[in-house]
Amino acid sequence: MVLSVQNSPLVARAYWLIRLRWLAVLGVIAASAIAGRIFDIPVRLREISLVAAALALYNLAFFLAARYIEKTQDGKSDRIIKFLIDVQIAMDLITLTTLLHYSGGIENPFVLYFVFHMVIASILLSTRESYLHATFAILVFGFMVLLEFKGIIPHHCLKVQGNGHLREDGLYISGSLFAFATTLYLVVYMTNFITSRLRQQEQAYREANIQLKQKDRVKDEYVERVTHDVKGHLAAIQSCLGVLADNLAGPLSERQSEFVNRAHNRTKKLSLFVKTLLKLTQLRLSERIEKDAFLLSEPVCSAVESARPRAKDKSITLSSNIQATGGRISGNRFSIEEMITNMLLNAIKYTPANGTVQVNLTDRGDKLLIEIADTGIGIPTGEIDNVFDEFFRATNARDSEPDGTGLGLSIVRQIVERHGGTIWVESTQGRGSTFKLLLPTVAAPPATVATPPDNTLAP
Amino acid sequence: MANEKVLIVDDDPDLTEALQTILQSRDYVVCTASNVEDGMATAKAEVPDLMILDVMMSTWQDGFNMARSLRQDPQFEKTPILMLTGVKDKTGMDFKEAAGDPSWLPVDGFLDKPVESDVLLAEVEKLLGKGK
Repeated sequence: MVLSVQNSPLVARAYWLIRLRWLAVLGVIAASAIAGRIFDIPVRLREISLVAAALALYNLAFFLAARYIEKTQDGKSDRIIKFLIDVQIAMDLITLTTLLHYSGGIENPFVLYFVFHMVIASILLSTRESYLHATFAILVFGFMVLLEFKGIIPHHCLKVQGNGHLREDGLYISGSLFAFATTLYLVVYMTNFITSRLRQQEQAYREANIQLKQKDRVKDEYVERVTHDVKGHLAAIQSCLGVLADNLAGPLSERQSEFVNRAHNRTKKLSLFVKTLLKLTQLRLSERIEKDAFLLSEPVCSAVESARPRAKDKSITLSSNIQATGGRISGNRFSIEEMITNMLLNAIKYTPANGTVQVNLTDRGDKLLIEIADTGIGIPTGEIDNVFDEFFRATNARDSEPDGTGLGLSIVRQIVERHGGTIWVESTQGRGSTFKLLLPTVAAPPATVATPPDNTLAP
Repeated sequence: MANEKVLIVDDDPDLTEALQTILQSRDYVVCTASNVEDGMATAKAEVPDLMILDVMMSTWQDGFNMARSLRQDPQFEKTPILMLTGVKDKTGMDFKEAAGDPSWLPVDGFLDKPVESDVLLAEVEKLLGKGK
């Protein structure tokens, strides 16, 4: 029964509780009958039967209520069902207290059965609610015991056989041991059922995760194949159009030339898109780990120099502050340089004329921090979390630059993560963005000789 | 100066013809081949001044193998080779990084496909040592 409880909708849990309670009704009737008839224990049969009847009655009421809520609320009933479960458990605690009151109060060894209620509450409800129910149980039972102690309500003694000592009463001892044994076994059974279920789920999640990763890889391989084939055809189309556009196949009329140029330009854009997508996919697929250690300041400085002409064209001040000149990282110098260059070009692209782009490289313990700050259009607050997503382009970026693949920052993130680093962005729309990259440093340059990435190419 | 002869080895006939037209517009003499065997035979017969090889023809390293065979032939030891790297991304390699290492990549220049005509012409001129 527990099997279906863990992840089932709330209403199923309510039904589970109701089913358990029917068993409890039967248990109460059977136990009092056995105690009274077979062992000849003088139990308060009338009161206990009344309590059992009340239990059955309110269980029926809860059953009907659950049916009604399930039918009328149609899935929007979680709060009501939760309330219903809370009330049921509270009623059960009162019922058990009442039963115990009529069968010996604090003397009754079946006081241990409160444990089941706590286990059930913990399965069905939140941590906080479970603790509240535990507290409620202590208060209700304690109150009953206190009232009996003070003589405000009568205490129904378990009739003691023998010399008047409980320890010499065989029936009491057997009953206690029975309560003790059933409690232990049932608690072990219930908790084991839950944890084994949890372990199974964990295993299932782990397998699902592996499968997802495999599927993602299959998708990447598929994208790679397709884009690679598309790229080949595009290259031919672009070259052929280039021949026409440059009038190498004879002169074109003005109108013809206009259309050929349009087609040529669109092909170039498509080529760029396909190339970028291919690059990203290959980064995702590649498992090669580059291991050369190099001074991070070198590719950063080269990237700044590569981006300088573009900044000058737009009258943008491009300045750099390289403090961590001795910090080395391990990885691929060229992809880092290309990445930083692209980030700078990006910053320049989205910064209006006369703005500034500032690059800082600082030491942060065992990491190096690269900051690329611009005074550009910034990123809308709600979109900051998405800028590294594939194909995502901020709305204002789209307005200011219609062309763009939405893949550039995804590639940047891939490269940063490949180097064991992290990247994030701080931005205010209309005022600028600061991209921050943290890359882990390595101690000393290993004395390795550059080897071909693929030994099949070696002579 | 006699018109220089350029050999293009590429398995894509459309691309080959486009490149050929571009080169012919600058009065280069162009011969073409669509696979490695043809390419080697044409190279021997025509003795080009420059060879343009596609990296990936039938298999992804055809271009490399051909470049290596050419370099082992004394006749072509010094002939500039321009590699068209439609596969730059396919192999995940950065060829610019490796270009300086003649032991495993014996070529003189790389261009990533698709290549614009002005870029191609500039690179061809550079490799033919026009400025020399």
